[in-house]
Amino acid sequence: MDRFEYSRDREATNAARARALEALLIEKGVITSETVDKIMAIFATEMGPFNGAKLVAKAWVDPAFKILLAQDTMAAVEQMNFATKGAGAEGEHMKAAVNTPEVHNLIICTLCSCYPWPILGLPPYWYKDPSFRARAAREPRKVLGEFGLDVDPGKEIKTWDSSAHIRWFVVPERPAGTDGFSEEQLAALVTPESMMGVAIVKPPGA
Amino acid sequence: MKLQHYLGGLEGLDPISLETRVFVEPWEERIFGIHTAMMALSPQLDLEATPSTFNTEWTWADLRKGAEAMNPFDYFRFRYYEKWLGGISEYFVAKGYISQADLDARTAAFLSSSAALPMGGDVAVDARVRKYLMTGDDPRRERPVPPLFAVGNAVRVADPKSVGHTRLPGHLRNKVGLIDSVYPDAYTYLCDTGVDGVGRAMPVYCVKFDPEDLWPGNTETNFTFYADLFEAYLEPAATLRNL
Repeated sequence: MDRFEYSRDREATNAARARALEALLIEKGVITSETVDKIMAIFATEMGPFNGAKLVAKAWVDPAFKILLAQDTMAAVEQMNFATKGAGAEGEHMKAAVNTPEVHNLIICTLCSCYPWPILGLPPYWYKDPSFRARAAREPRKVLGEFGLDVDPGKEIKTWDSSAHIRWFVVPERPAGTDGFSEEQLAALVTPESMMGVAIVKPPGA
Repeated sequence: MKLQHYLGGLEGLDPISLETRVFVEPWEERIFGIHTAMMALSPQLDLEATPSTFNTEWTWADLRKGAEAMNPFDYFRFRYYEKWLGGISEYFVAKGYISQADLDARTAAFLSSSAALPMGGDVAVDARVRKYLMTGDDPRRERPVPPLFAVGNAVRVADPKSVGHTRLPGHLRNKVGLIDSVYPDAYTYLCDTGVDGVGRAMPVYCVKFDPEDLWPGNTETNFTFYADLFEAYLEPAATLRNL
């Protein structure tokens, strides 16, 4: 069963209703004709996973920064010159969970879909899916297996449920075969999935 | 008991969706943008007033209350942004910004022809939305009183009466965990949840649970579960309230 394939009637009605709502809100002076486009532009260029990838890449090449990122995440984020500086909606208090050879971290939100907007942008559908939210809490290894990630039984899994103010993300381990890579080359390897713990960062070309 | 509060650990569900897109239909971006603009223009924020006619409070709590009030079968039946579209449309009608008749008529019109959106609006509105996204809405406050618990303390999760909205994951109710860290200062929540207990500034803790205590004999090994919990949801583990 594919939950993302609905009848075209249903999608057409949703699309028309969303457009009708936006048109009425513009006419009533609630928002402007530019508001939604400007918001989407911010998520395309200023608040997105491209920021998180830069953080991770810097942590991989700078051991002191990696320690700071783990111990005082917001102080590390402030050094990055992101548009949101050390703040941003849904990122006022972010915390990094750092993967090690002994520990794999997984971020979930069993109550809704809390996600660190300034550095990861908006949550992908898998993260918002009630099945993921329910199952990752109790059977993370099985869930990660469905993502194609088999975590060694000897490695501890830590699952972090975001139910208060902290917005969590994962610092994945640096993959092999990346010696001498620049931060920019490293950042290009980092996916949103790896920064929430349902994937690892694969070596280049893998 | 509301199923929406008790998703953690629910059995019998489908294989995981591997859909990595944020939006699966173009209209979803529009309702996301409208919600974000509402949060940014909500009058309780300490941001400069604008000519926007939006003058009623809207936060994540309002969106979540709507989802938590749904019939649980509908909660699973509707896709993520369909719930947003329904809840936000209802809000604008209920608050009198638009009428249901106008919304239905415009929907019918857009279904038969894709006319352009109207033009207009004051740039100050969009400037405030940008300001909100860049600065956020920090819930951190000075501590009114010292925290009740310290790292290593055993705590039992409270089981307050189920009301319209909560930040207490249902699978943790009545379970015992250990304080793993105490976050600095205190944190408000977006609204007062009444007898549920959150809203005013209070300490927040990261609490560590053994999944074997949460789902005895029915979970995985070498696995630790952590949750961030407001102090109102915690009591000393020695309190045997139900005995």
